[in-house]
Amino acid sequence: MKFKLPNFKLKLNPTLIGFIKKELVQTLRDTRMRFLLLVAPMIQLILFGFALSTDVRNIKISFVYKPNDVLMREIEDRCYGSSWFIPAPKDDSNPFHLIQSGRADAVLMAPEGGLTRATEIGKGRVQLLVDAENIEKAQSIDGYVKSIVAEALEEHTHLKQPNPPIQFSVRYLYNPELETSVFMVPGVLCMVLVIITVVLTSSSIAREKELGTFEALIASPAKPIEILMGKTVPYVIFGMVDMFLVLTVAVLVFHVPMRGPIWMLFVGALGFVINTVSLGVLLSSFVRNMQQSSMFGFLFIFPAIQLSGLIYPIENMPWILKPIAYMDPVMYFVALLRNIMLKGGDLGLFCTYAGILYAMAVFMVWVSSGRFRQTLN
Amino acid sequence: MLKEHQTNLLKQYWFLCFFIKIYLWFSFYSSWRLGVLAMKLFFCQGYLMNGFSFRRAYSIARKEVRHIVRDPFTLGLAIGLPLLMVLFFGYAMDFNVHDIDLTVYDLDHSRSSRQLAETFQSSGYFNIHFRDLDANMAKTLDSQKARGVLYIQPHFERDMNREGTVTTQVLIDGSDNSTAGVIGGYLSGVQMAAIQKITGQTASQPVSVVTRYLFNGELNSRWFTVPGLSVVVLAILGIMLTALTVAREWENGSMEMLLSTPVSPAEIIVGKLFPYLVMGFIGQTIIYLAARLLFGVPFAGSHILLFIGTLLFLTACMAQGLIISVTTRHQIAAIQFSQTLGQLPAMMLSGFVFPVESMPIFFQYFTMIFPARWYMVVVRGLFLRGAGIEELIWPLLILLGMDILFISMAVRFFKRDVEP
Repeated sequence: MKFKLPNFKLKLNPTLIGFIKKELVQTLRDTRMRFLLLVAPMIQLILFGFALSTDVRNIKISFVYKPNDVLMREIEDRCYGSSWFIPAPKDDSNPFHLIQSGRADAVLMAPEGGLTRATEIGKGRVQLLVDAENIEKAQSIDGYVKSIVAEALEEHTHLKQPNPPIQFSVRYLYNPELETSVFMVPGVLCMVLVIITVVLTSSSIAREKELGTFEALIASPAKPIEILMGKTVPYVIFGMVDMFLVLTVAVLVFHVPMRGPIWMLFVGALGFVINTVSLGVLLSSFVRNMQQSSMFGFLFIFPAIQLSGLIYPIENMPWILKPIAYMDPVMYFVALLRNIMLKGGDLGLFCTYAGILYAMAVFMVWVSSGRFRQTLN
Repeated sequence: MLKEHQTNLLKQYWFLCFFIKIYLWFSFYSSWRLGVLAMKLFFCQGYLMNGFSFRRAYSIARKEVRHIVRDPFTLGLAIGLPLLMVLFFGYAMDFNVHDIDLTVYDLDHSRSSRQLAETFQSSGYFNIHFRDLDANMAKTLDSQKARGVLYIQPHFERDMNREGTVTTQVLIDGSDNSTAGVIGGYLSGVQMAAIQKITGQTASQPVSVVTRYLFNGELNSRWFTVPGLSVVVLAILGIMLTALTVAREWENGSMEMLLSTPVSPAEIIVGKLFPYLVMGFIGQTIIYLAARLLFGVPFAGSHILLFIGTLLFLTACMAQGLIISVTTRHQIAAIQFSQTLGQLPAMMLSGFVFPVESMPIFFQYFTMIFPARWYMVVVRGLFLRGAGIEELIWPLLILLGMDILFISMAVRFFKRDVEP
């Protein structure tokens, strides 16, 4: 018996190919679109990888003490010698006013009679006034000053404190220096993908609607499925290309580790991009013009990014927001990206999260294509 | 060699010079511009203000209000956006981590080791799970089952009693900076508590540092974020709505029609922008009320200064939106530019989350060109600290200078386009 191989010939639908080509050309020929696709992600990457961090530096600190207080002067020198503090103007009369007027972030006040005297009697309180508007900054200032004072005191009194009975040796895995870029860059990747796919897809359909060419599309012999594919496939491609672009820069310039296999990243990203693109289609079916589409896009993207655990952890959210966070595809993708890039990709976690992403994608495609057909008819 | 603080002083000096230069430039430019405007108004023959009629501007404004009312999205955005922002930033954003999953590998099984684990639990920050040692501790972190691991080695108690000191290992998931840093900060407190609980010793220091947190004694992070939200909301509303409404008129071709009527460009601009100014104020009022009533943020400053600052900032945003719409003339581009110019600086470069002082030196100067950064100084200063006019006069003057600059740029571009 002769075994016949079934003839699998990839049927390329010429209408669809033409449509996709048109969409690609239309997007790429526009200078602003090229800017949005190529330059904007780089700007975001540079900002997050380089400029923005919640580390506290350049703290304006002032000191209140008598001129003969050697120890306080020592502390002052140590403060300015560290990279955290810069001098603030001195105003002995009212340290509170110094902070209130924004000229200082913190004021360290010697105990009555001076700190040098206080260490001799073995009793005294150094008061630290901190502007606590920004609590993270305030807590960092508190930590820095306390460690500097303790160091100075130890050296001055030559009393080495005995080791405490229990010590912790703390190791931060995956990112030992706690560098911001390592933490933020996977997040930026995700943000770039969301913005590009959702906004571009929905606005390209909204534009056709507003210009009236959408009617021409409906009247054309193209089938609804072809219109839908033609409108979505190019943006999936753009999303994937952009992701690899940002990834390359992140790894080469910012030295973000890429510890996991690249196929995991590809599979995960594809599932995610299908989600966001079909979301863009869904959004566009509710709008009539571009203004609405941009607002809708913003109203979706903003909470999606806020709830994704990109900037602050999901565990802290109030119970009412948690279920919404667990429905957010961005959250799964952020977790997946960080796991793959920093931790080398845990197979169990990958299967779970990618599975959820693809399940969501199937659902989203079903809903959005249904809505899209409705608008077509 | 210069010492660190000397270089810092130099930087400050340079900063001052830079500031003075900018100020002089602004003041010259703005007084010149104001003078020209005043002359034109006075003689009533300038091209800009020629026969400016408030009646005609009012009609344009009425038309714009109809547009807004007819289109529920714009109205929804003006009211919905502030509420959404307050909801997310007020309730969801919390950097104080609690309920951290911590896996404990207790190989000692002694009284002390159990007490140590209990201290972690009773600190309120951690949820501990005991597990038997499997092949690889880091695997628990890899698969995200826990954010941290406490490894208590065998003979923990014996070593502590014999040698007086013992070190246990704590592994923290460093892939999430914002939590890892906070967890590291909690450890010293846990250490103190554990020492006291297990050995009964209290660490006493002869000379101690006592910290007083001013203006926000309870360290409530919402008091910091919620007032800052008004900057983000106003920037988005002001720039995006203005850019879109004008770009739409261009794109539909109705701008040409408007221009062919006896209405002058200045009247069109004033009429089109006024309703959005009102909407901006509504947004600001919502945030203000939410901050005061929902979150109990104290307002220590002067409301008049807040009003002036808001007015100046909104004007700057709308003028930016106008420039965008005149130069792009297409809605899709207008959206993108307004997002780049509105959202990004307001959220990232204004000091809303990431302090400006901590940025690299180039970015510290770079942020100065955005109005959002200056308005942030005004809002933050007014709410908690109650900053006075002598501190806020600078940001306000700079905002005023930016207003004049942006408006004259917008009018110039507008004129150039209208009269080719």
